[in-house]
Amino acid sequence: MAANLKTYYEELGRAFHSKPSDLKKCQALLPKLKIGLIEAGLLLPQGDVNLGDLSVARDILEVGAYVSIRSKDIPSFDRYFSQLQTFYTDYSESLPPSKREYPIRGLHLIRLLTQNRIADFHTALESLDPDVIAENPFIKHPVNLERWLMEGSYSKVWSAREEAPSEEYKFFVDSLMGTIRNEIASCEETAYESLPLKDAATLLFFTTQSEVITFAQQRGWQVDLTAGTVTFKRKDEEKMEIPKQRIIAASLAYARELEQIV
Amino acid sequence: MADVEMKQANAKPAKDAEEKKKEEQKPIPISPVAEIKSNVLLIDRAVTTLEPRFTHRVLRTLTALRKRIDDSVLRNAIESIYPKDHAVKKNLLAWLPSGPSSTGQEMDVDTSSKTSQAELVPEAEMYLRLLILLHLLASEETQEKALELANETAEKMQALNRRSMDAIAAKIWYAVDRAYELAGELSDARPMFLAAQRTASLRHDDEAQAALINCLLRSYITYNLYDQADKLVSKTTFPPSASNAQFARFHYYLGRIRAVQLNYTEAHTNLQQAIRRAPPAKTAPGFYQAVHKYFVVVELLMGDIPDRSLFRHVVLEKALTAYFDIVKAVRTGSLAQFQSTLSKHAAQFEEDHTYTLIIRLRQNVIKTGIRRLSLSYSRISLRDICIKLNLDSEEDAEYIVGKAIRDGVIEGRIVHDKGWMECGTQKNAYGPEVSEVFGRRIAFCLDLHNQSVKAMRYPLNAHRKELAAAEGAREREKELAKEIQDGELDEDDIGPDF
Repeated sequence: MAANLKTYYEELGRAFHSKPSDLKKCQALLPKLKIGLIEAGLLLPQGDVNLGDLSVARDILEVGAYVSIRSKDIPSFDRYFSQLQTFYTDYSESLPPSKREYPIRGLHLIRLLTQNRIADFHTALESLDPDVIAENPFIKHPVNLERWLMEGSYSKVWSAREEAPSEEYKFFVDSLMGTIRNEIASCEETAYESLPLKDAATLLFFTTQSEVITFAQQRGWQVDLTAGTVTFKRKDEEKMEIPKQRIIAASLAYARELEQIV
Repeated sequence: MADVEMKQANAKPAKDAEEKKKEEQKPIPISPVAEIKSNVLLIDRAVTTLEPRFTHRVLRTLTALRKRIDDSVLRNAIESIYPKDHAVKKNLLAWLPSGPSSTGQEMDVDTSSKTSQAELVPEAEMYLRLLILLHLLASEETQEKALELANETAEKMQALNRRSMDAIAAKIWYAVDRAYELAGELSDARPMFLAAQRTASLRHDDEAQAALINCLLRSYITYNLYDQADKLVSKTTFPPSASNAQFARFHYYLGRIRAVQLNYTEAHTNLQQAIRRAPPAKTAPGFYQAVHKYFVVVELLMGDIPDRSLFRHVVLEKALTAYFDIVKAVRTGSLAQFQSTLSKHAAQFEEDHTYTLIIRLRQNVIKTGIRRLSLSYSRISLRDICIKLNLDSEEDAEYIVGKAIRDGVIEGRIVHDKGWMECGTQKNAYGPEVSEVFGRRIAFCLDLHNQSVKAMRYPLNAHRKELAAAEGAREREKELAKEIQDGELDEDDIGPDF
């Protein structure tokens, strides 16, 4: 490994581990380190490489992932995560396990949840060991959240937001709450005719009335302030239309096919 | 993943040895040695006449033949096929343990007639290599050797690059994959397979391509790399001319990928295709069971209840007991029963790699429960729902019912101030979607017809004969017409005389 890479790495370690972490410095160092890694052929390792170098490279990327979460740069987190995948899957046998692996994987899972990318969530989950899913607190948290979201037990999601296994998870809580609020709102629109404002606030986990009113305005609900109720717009019964175009096309296709057979 | 079709072959050798003794006493229509020899001749003919169907005919007998070969059979076959000091022969024989007496009785007779034979095509060598490979894979002690042979064969095959070898190559790739898998080095073989797949697709080598795509998918799925497997599927086109067995495998893998991605409808179609294309249940029970396990789970996830008769099927009954219990739990909509069944059979589900899928069923259990309630009550308090479905709190019940209404599971509404759910009537299910389903079925039938027309064989120049016959018929018709005309004239001529 090049000498300057080493000094940068040590600097990064100091900046990251100092409390509170020096995010600015980390952000300045990471690009230099990445260039160094590319030059050393360690960013996307191929063939046989020194194991010590590999774990250093993994370390750098992990710090990068954390730094991007702390500085709320999600696309950058995604990039670091996909670069880390090589280390987590292909070199899982030769490298000593990293203690940051599961926290980062868990963060990735939560991120998929907040974006409602459930298919990707399950694909990512499938690559993990069933024991890990059941035991590891970092993985268990997103898995439980997903289950409750799918069932509709939103109050459990709400109460679990404080039980995040590490600081970084809390960053996603806000966007997760946004997701579930929208989910709840769409459920309410179809399930209720009208709701008292107070109850709407509890259902949507709002603490003040003004928050509910702004939210209701965003979704286009009718708020009756004097009666203190929210009325949801009824969607009109969809008119049944005969899909003429399609039926004609299908009939013509059948005619053509039959003509070919006979 | 359990590939019981192969496992069966693995487990059998011990039994086979005994059976073989019995079999040898019985009059067998054709001895394996003779069969191998005739197969080699057929392959030779296929290559010289450029008619791949002879090769296909040979490969069709492969499964049956595999169970009947042993060291001495292979040795005798090789001895008799190749002339005495042939380099290939030595090469091939080196892979087999030297037996006590390599001079079989019938071999002596044959060598005299075959020594004069011209140089054999390399395809024949590959075929023999394939047989040796399958034989080595069958017993555990020789698996290491099999891996070596597999590597050498794959190299040789790629160096030769002959189109007439494609069909055999596909089978060899499968054996190579198996060799790596048994050695536990499946992930190491991936770069080789990827390279081979690219080459095969460039050369339009459909059979090998199909086999290789399946090998790769298998490799990815064994390591739970569904993401990569999905990318492979989206970047490649599975050759439509692939054999049924390869298609069945491909659909099975695709079904698994889609199920993981929550695309249950597509998973369902693929698994159904896999079942339809699979060999009969009795000949390949392992595959049949494996596909049905996923099929049942996916059907449950879609909200359907699988047919009961499925669980009474001779081949499936035992393998699917755990799944039957799950189906029962989902059907009754009881969360408690579901949880207890899940923990009871957890080990089996994990072995089948269906555990994560089955966990997802939890929400379906709840939905089924709510649907049952909505059908039997016109109005029910949230508190009762909570008790009946074993939910933790009334708040949860309210959210869950709300979600069920939004997802269209039930028709109804919640009256919040009174704390109950009012259930509406079911919608009339007869709409434009019926014609859509009908249209899909018609399209399927028409497609089936077209496919079968395409699959028919048209022998070359056969239409000439027909044409000639038609020509003749026309000729005759003309003559007849003429005669009639003449006859009429005659009659006319005769007429006045009367």
